[in-house]
Amino acid sequence: MRKEKKSIKSVNNKVKLFAIICTILMLLLAVRLIVIVVKNGDNYQRHILMQQSYSSTVLPCRRGDIYDANGIKLASSEKVYTLVIDAAVMNTELSKEKKYLQPTLDLLGQTFKQLDMVEITNYVKNNPTSRWYVPKTTKRMSYDEVKSFMEAQNEKDSLIKGVWFEEDYRRIYPGGSLAADVIGFTTTDSQGQYGLEEYYDDILNGVKGREYGYLNDDLNLERTVKSPVDGYNLHSTIDVNLQTIVEKYLSRFMEQNKDAYRTGNGAENIGCIIQNVNTGEILAMASAPTFDLNNSRDGQSLLGSMMVEKYDKENGYYEIKKNGTVITQDVLNSMTEDQLNLNLAYLWKNFCINNTYEPGSVAKPFTVAMALEKGTITPSSTFECHGSLEIGGFTIKCHNRNDGTVTLEKAVAKSCNVAMMKIAQTMGSKIFCDYQQVFNFGLKTNIDLVGEARTNQFVYSADTMGPTDLATNSFGQNFNCTMIQAITGFSSLINGGYYYEPHMVSKITNASGAVVEKIEPRVLKQTISEETSELIRQYCTAVVEYGTGKTARPAGYMIGGKTGTAETIDQNTHKRSKDEYVVSFMGFAPADDPQIAIYVVVDRANAPRQDDAKYATRIVRSILMEALPYLQIYMTEDLTESEIKELQELQLEITTEHKPDDSETVDTPHTSEVEYEEGNKPVWLSFPVDPNTGYRVDPVTGYKYDAQEGFLVEGNEAVMGVEGPVNPSLSQ
Amino acid sequence: MAKKVKAKPVSRWSRFKNMDVLVLITVFFLNVFGLVMIYSASSYSNSTSLLIKQAIAVGGGIVLMLGTVFVGHTILKKLWWLIYGVAVIFLALVKTSLGVESHGARRWIHFPGIPFNIQPAEIAKIAVIITTALMICWMGNEIRNIWKVMIACGILAGPLALEIILFTKNMSTTIILCGIVGLMFFLASPCYKDYLIIAGIAVGLAAVFILISLFTDWAGFRGSRITAWLNPEEYGQETGYQTKQALYAIGSGGIGGKGLGQSMQKLNYLPEAQNDMIFSIICEEWGLFGAFTIMFVFAVLIWRIALIAMRAKSLFSSMLACGVLAHIALQVILNIAVVTNSVPNTGVSLPFISYGGSSVLCLLIEIGIVLSVNCETKEKNRDEIERRTKEYDDGNRTMPNT
Repeated sequence: MRKEKKSIKSVNNKVKLFAIICTILMLLLAVRLIVIVVKNGDNYQRHILMQQSYSSTVLPCRRGDIYDANGIKLASSEKVYTLVIDAAVMNTELSKEKKYLQPTLDLLGQTFKQLDMVEITNYVKNNPTSRWYVPKTTKRMSYDEVKSFMEAQNEKDSLIKGVWFEEDYRRIYPGGSLAADVIGFTTTDSQGQYGLEEYYDDILNGVKGREYGYLNDDLNLERTVKSPVDGYNLHSTIDVNLQTIVEKYLSRFMEQNKDAYRTGNGAENIGCIIQNVNTGEILAMASAPTFDLNNSRDGQSLLGSMMVEKYDKENGYYEIKKNGTVITQDVLNSMTEDQLNLNLAYLWKNFCINNTYEPGSVAKPFTVAMALEKGTITPSSTFECHGSLEIGGFTIKCHNRNDGTVTLEKAVAKSCNVAMMKIAQTMGSKIFCDYQQVFNFGLKTNIDLVGEARTNQFVYSADTMGPTDLATNSFGQNFNCTMIQAITGFSSLINGGYYYEPHMVSKITNASGAVVEKIEPRVLKQTISEETSELIRQYCTAVVEYGTGKTARPAGYMIGGKTGTAETIDQNTHKRSKDEYVVSFMGFAPADDPQIAIYVVVDRANAPRQDDAKYATRIVRSILMEALPYLQIYMTEDLTESEIKELQELQLEITTEHKPDDSETVDTPHTSEVEYEEGNKPVWLSFPVDPNTGYRVDPVTGYKYDAQEGFLVEGNEAVMGVEGPVNPSLSQ
Repeated sequence: MAKKVKAKPVSRWSRFKNMDVLVLITVFFLNVFGLVMIYSASSYSNSTSLLIKQAIAVGGGIVLMLGTVFVGHTILKKLWWLIYGVAVIFLALVKTSLGVESHGARRWIHFPGIPFNIQPAEIAKIAVIITTALMICWMGNEIRNIWKVMIACGILAGPLALEIILFTKNMSTTIILCGIVGLMFFLASPCYKDYLIIAGIAVGLAAVFILISLFTDWAGFRGSRITAWLNPEEYGQETGYQTKQALYAIGSGGIGGKGLGQSMQKLNYLPEAQNDMIFSIICEEWGLFGAFTIMFVFAVLIWRIALIAMRAKSLFSSMLACGVLAHIALQVILNIAVVTNSVPNTGVSLPFISYGGSSVLCLLIEIGIVLSVNCETKEKNRDEIERRTKEYDDGNRTMPNT
C-alpha cells in the first residue's frame, strides 16, 4: 500500500513533466505555423492561384428548326452522344469481387457491336490512368442507340462505370432530298452550308453555353454556368405539298428522258419556282438533279451529270467548265478527292438562283409591257412580219417565216421576233436598258438564300448597247438572268405592277415558339400600271389559249403564260451552239384572277432536238393539274373526255363550279379562217397538213404550225443560229 | 479501533453527476468543430454523406462513453482479455474475406449486416492501454528493471504491433501503439536514465535512417517520404504532393483565414482533405486564430486528463488515464507536426476532428474511461471525508472517555 502510494507520487511528477513537454511541443508547432504564414503566406497563396485550372466547358446549344408554311419540319436537330472511355474509373476496384472493369467491357461489347473490343480492352489495360479515349466507331450516336447502356449505368449499385457520353446535336432532314437546294445543310460543327441554313446561320445557331470557374474580388473561387441559348426557328413560305408535287414531276422528267439521246440525266438542269404573285413568297423552289440532305456528300447523286473541271486562266483566275464527260460509276470511282468536292459543290448550288442563262422568249412580255408603259406603242399597234429583219449586219429571222400583219396580242401569242425587234426599236436602247433595271434585270433580287448570282455584267447599258443588241435583247437573247429574277419580274407584270421582294421565310420564332420576327411581304416598286398589267395578262392568256403555250394548259383551268426557247453559248467556241437550248415556260394561274406564278426551265434536255418548249410546258401542266386543286382554285373550263379520263387516272376531283352555257364556249375569232390577200400569202399556208395532228408541217425544219393561224406549235422560237450575235460578257 | 467502514452503496446513476465538466466541454467542442470541418472539407465532392456517417459515429461514441462511465473502469481488470482478444482476432480478420480495401490499403473489416466498416487498429489502441495498465500493476517494483520492462513491452505491444505491420502495413499506427506502451512504462517508472538512453538510441536510429534514405534508394517509399519531407516543393509532383498542398493551405490562410467553406485546396488539390490533413484546411479557412484555438483546446484537454491521472486513487486508474493521455497527446502533436512538415509524412489522424468512425468511437470510449477514473477519485475522496468525519465524530464522542 505504501509502495503504491509512493509510485503514484513519482507518477504524478512524470505526468506533470509529460504534460509540460506536450505544451512546449505544441508551442513550438504554433511557432512553426507562424513561420509558415509569415514567411511563405503570400508565396503559397500565389502557388494556389497558379495551380487552379479554370478550364471551362462548352455546353452545346440546339440549332433551330426549319418549318414549311404548314408547320411541317423540314430540318431539325437531335441530340447525339459520343462515347468516351474513362479508363481510370473503369480500373478502380471496390473490392476483390466487385470490379467495374469486366462488367463494363462486357456490356460495351454487347451494346455497341461496332466497337473493336480487343482494341479497347488493350487500351484500358495499358493506360490505366487515361481519362479520355474516344473510339472512332461510336461517335455521334442517337439516343435510341445509347439508351439501354445509359439505363444500365444509372441503376443502383451498378458495376458499369467509366463510360460517359458527350452530348452534341445532329441535323436531320425528315424530307431527305425534299427542297434540298432551298434548305441547304450543315457541317458537323453546326455551320450552315447553302440555302436557308447558310443565309440564316446566325439566327438558327444559338449561343453556346459555358461552365467556368473564376476568382472573385475576395479571391474566392466561384463556379458559374452560362446556359446555352437555343437557336431560333425558321418558318419558311415553302409549302411541302407543292414542293413535293414539283419535285415529283421534275424527277419524272429526269427519269423519262434519262439516256434518251446520250447517256446521262434527262436534262442538265431543270428548275421550277412557284411564287405567290400577290406577296412575292416562294411557295416551291426545286431543281434537278438534286441530292440527299442527310447524306450530302454521297457521290451517287452525281451520277448522270456532266462532270465539271477547274481550268486555270492566264490572268490568274480560274473557271469551272463542264468537260463533256458524263459521270458514271466508273468515272466516279476514279475521281480524286478534289474533283469530287468540285462536282459536289456544283451539285449543291441552287439552279434557280445560282445559274444564269439567256431567258429567250419569256422576255417578250417584258418588252411589250415597257413599250406600252412608255407609250411608244399602243394596244392597237400592229406590226409587219416578213420572216426576218436585218439589223446591224445580221439577218435575224422570225421562226414563223411570215406572219404578215400581227396585232400586239398575236405578236406575243405567236412569239413573233420581228414584232419584238420593231417594238424595241420604237423605245430605243436608253428606255429599254432603264426599264430592264426597273424589272431588276442586272440587279440582285435579294432573296433570302445564299449565292444569288450577280448579273450586272450580263446586261447592256445604254452606252454599250448597239442596235443588234437591242434587237436580240427584245426577245430575250444576249443577256442573262436568273430564274428568280425572271419570275419575280413576271409576277409584277401580272399582279398590277407591284414588284414584291421575293422571300423564303415568313416568320422567325424562338425555341419556346414565341414570334421573334414576322417578315411581311414588301413592295419594292411599281413596275407598270394596272392597265398595262391587264393587257399583259390578256396577251399571256392568248399564248395558252391558241398560241405557243397550248400544251401548258391544265385540264379544266385557263392560265396565262409565255414559252421560251433560247440558244446557249458554247463555252469553248464562244459562239452560239447549234443544238443546245434552254426551254422554259413562265405562267400564272388562274388566268382571270392570278394567284400563283410558275416558272419551269429545262436546261439542255436529253433529246435529239432540244429546242422544244413542250419539255417545259408539259411539266408546268402536270404540276398545275395537281397544284391548283390543292390551292383550292376551282376549275372554270370545259373538260374533254380525254381530260376527264386523265383526271380520273390522277385521282383528281373535277371542281368546276358551274357549267357554262354552250354559247359561251363557241370560240369564234380563233377558229375562223383568216382571209389573206393574194401575193401576201404566208409561207406556212403552203405546208402540207399532217393528218395525224392536224398541224401544218414545214418539210425543211419539221416545225409544226397551226393549220389556220400559222403560229408555231412545235419548234424553235429562237432562230439566230451559230453565227448569231453574242453578248461579249456572256462568253467570258 | 481500525474498524473497517463499509462504503455507503452509491447509486450508479449518481456517477454521471461526478463527470468532469472541463473534459466534457472540450471533447464536445472538438467533436462539433470536427463535424463542421468535415462537412466543409468534403461537401464539394461528397455533399453530406461523410458528415452524416461521422455524426452517427459521434452519437454512438457518446452513448458508449456514458455507458463506460456507468459500468465503471474497474470491470476492465476482469475483462481485459476479452478486449485484447477482440483486437487480436479483428486484426487477423483483415486478412480474411471480411477485410475491406480502400485508398490502396487494407485496414478495415466489414461484417455482413453491419452498415459500417471497423478499423481494428483503433480497438488495438484501447486494448494496449488497458493491458499495459494492468501489467504495470502486476509488475510492482519490478518496473525499475528496464530489461523486464522491455520484455513486458514486447509481450504487450508485440502481437498487436506485429499484426498491424504485417496485416495492415500501417507504420504510423504501430508507432502510436509502441509510443503509448513506452510512455506508460516511462510514466509509471520512477527512473529517468534508462528511458533517456532508449530515447537517445531511437533518435540515433532515426537519424541513421534519414541519412541512408537521403543517399540511397534502399529504404523504399518510406525513404522517399523522408526526402520529400526535407524538400517538399521539389518532390511536389510525387510523394511530397500532399505535404506541399498542406503547406500552401496553411500559408494562404494567413492570420484570419479565408472563412468557413472558402478553402480552395479542398477542391481536388488536397486529396481526402477531411482525413489526416484536415488541420491544414482549418488553417486555410480559420487562419492562425482558428489553429491556435484548436491547439489551446487540445492543451486544456491534455492538462485536464493529466490532472485526473495525478489525482487517481489507484495505480491502475492512474495508468489508464495516462494511457489515454499518451494516446491523445501523441496523435495531436504528430498530426500537427506532419501537417506543418515538421516530421516526415505519416498518416496520423487528428483526434475527434479527422474523419473516421472507428477512431472517434474508440476515443470517446477512452474519454469514458478517464471520466470513470475521475468519478472513482471523487467517490473515494467523498468516502475518505465521510470516514474521517465519522472517525472524528466517533473520536469526539469517545475521546473524553479515554
